[in-house]
Amino acid sequence: MPSRRPLVAVLAALLAVAVGACSVGSSASPASTPLTVGLGFIPSVQFAPFYLAQQKDYYRDAGVEVTFQNKIDPDLVVLVGQGAIDVGLADGTSVIPAVSQGIPIRYLATVYRAFPSIVFAKESSGIKTAADLKGRKIGIPGRYGSSWIMLPALLQSAKLTTSDVQIVLYPDFGQLAAVEQGAVDAATGFINNEPVQLQLSGEPTVVLRVDQAVPLPGPGLISGTKTLSAKRAAVAGFVAATLKAMREIAANPDAGLDAAIVAVPDLGKDRTTQKAILSATIDAWTGGGSASGLGAIDRDGWTRSVAFMTGLGLVPNAVTVDQLVDESLLPKG
Amino acid sequence: MTRGAAILPVAAMLAVALIAWKAIVVVGGLPVFILPPPEVVGARFVRAWTDGTIPPHFGATLQEVILGFLVGAGLALVIGYGLARSVLVGRLLSPYLVAAQATPILALAPLLALWFGAGLLSKVVICSLIVFFPVAVATMVGVRSVDANLLELGRSLRATRRQVVATLEIPAALPSILGGMRVGVTLAVVGAIVGEWAGADRGLGVLVNLARGSLFDIPLMFATLLTIALLGVVLYGLVVLTERRLVGPR
Repeated sequence: MPSRRPLVAVLAALLAVAVGACSVGSSASPASTPLTVGLGFIPSVQFAPFYLAQQKDYYRDAGVEVTFQNKIDPDLVVLVGQGAIDVGLADGTSVIPAVSQGIPIRYLATVYRAFPSIVFAKESSGIKTAADLKGRKIGIPGRYGSSWIMLPALLQSAKLTTSDVQIVLYPDFGQLAAVEQGAVDAATGFINNEPVQLQLSGEPTVVLRVDQAVPLPGPGLISGTKTLSAKRAAVAGFVAATLKAMREIAANPDAGLDAAIVAVPDLGKDRTTQKAILSATIDAWTGGGSASGLGAIDRDGWTRSVAFMTGLGLVPNAVTVDQLVDESLLPKG
Repeated sequence: MTRGAAILPVAAMLAVALIAWKAIVVVGGLPVFILPPPEVVGARFVRAWTDGTIPPHFGATLQEVILGFLVGAGLALVIGYGLARSVLVGRLLSPYLVAAQATPILALAPLLALWFGAGLLSKVVICSLIVFFPVAVATMVGVRSVDANLLELGRSLRATRRQVVATLEIPAALPSILGGMRVGVTLAVVGAIVGEWAGADRGLGVLVNLARGSLFDIPLMFATLLTIALLGVVLYGLVVLTERRLVGPR
């Protein structure tokens, strides 16, 4: 008769693992509130503050137990409105049409003070200002999303429209290669991605920002109105802990990079590039200024953005800034 | 059965589906951005058609579907016949055809958009690819199932190759071929939408993305999905009508 000992040993081992898993799960403070937090689609160094705050127990100290999920922006906005995700990092330019369509969300804290969607070009293209884009070929991923809001705003600042430029579609987000190879004169991209990579390749790069023309609201922390009613203190704690981590990383980028590599080990394969991306990200958080006042919401900017996006036909039902933002959860002082 | 009697069960099923849809919204207390009720979608559907939101996108998708179907089905007829009548063609092509069919078109679409551009050509290629397999297989099965005695009779009467194909093989295989086209024409709609998702300026797939991702207009998204579904139903109906005219009701 075959021995049953190996089977018993395997069952005992599985039981031990299960008990261990349960004990890990129950190690959270009984007073902590669980929060599901939605970040961008791909885990990246841009989310370093969230990783740092998690690893240094800033969230736990604030009384929240955080679980991260990676979602694309449109899904995230709807899931936050539904209450399936408690807090999300989403474009301010998504919040305006979403609230206009009745999705019950509020923008709680600015993460990117500078609008991260930009136009970039090689310095050798001769493009220095938005006016220089007239008649040029511009690569874009599609006529949608934050880049398609930014581009008309940028062109408008030079009294141009999208009809004054040649739009070339790169649905596979191949705009960087198109600029490198000279297939287009300029392209839309993100301040902490394509221009950083182009510059690192040794190509002097020009970046055209929209902020001077229309201060469009960059990505920030959003939450659903139901979540805000049910978990207000926890969300406030989460916002404060995240801003604390942002300040810490702004002062010491290596701490953020290390935290990101712990969370996403693949990022450690090219530390130089990731550090450059994080540095550009920090610049976008601070808008090129100081790290004081991180999280603050520019109401005038939101008002102008609502007017601009209404002009683009993206706001079918009128909205006020009070319906869009809620600054009451920002840490005082 | 009269036409009225034929339509009655379809109308009754539609009514049941609409009532169930409305009940889910009311009982579940679902907001419009999660599941809009049928009357809201209906109103948005009418408005989007009358205010010019849907028509240009519909025109673009229809063009892609028709061209993609014609190219895909046309090639499938030729290759399908070759597969049925030539062992060599079968051995050479079969593994690649099956492999191409097994590869998800969703994964291929971005590559095809990269190779053929974000314009009409890539959509036609994607539609053709997705239409090709069911029509080719149906053609192959149809041609192989032609009665061998009939073919023997044709040869004994000294019929030319062209006469055998035109008067024996194609008419006998037609029911099977048209069955494949029923599947192919609905898949052509899927192919066009997938192609538009991979990159396009216009089309119902673009409008679904715009409604969902930029406008957060969920009723418009449902109205567009309804348009896509109706397009598929109408095209399927046209193939069925053609089939009835050519081979009689089945």
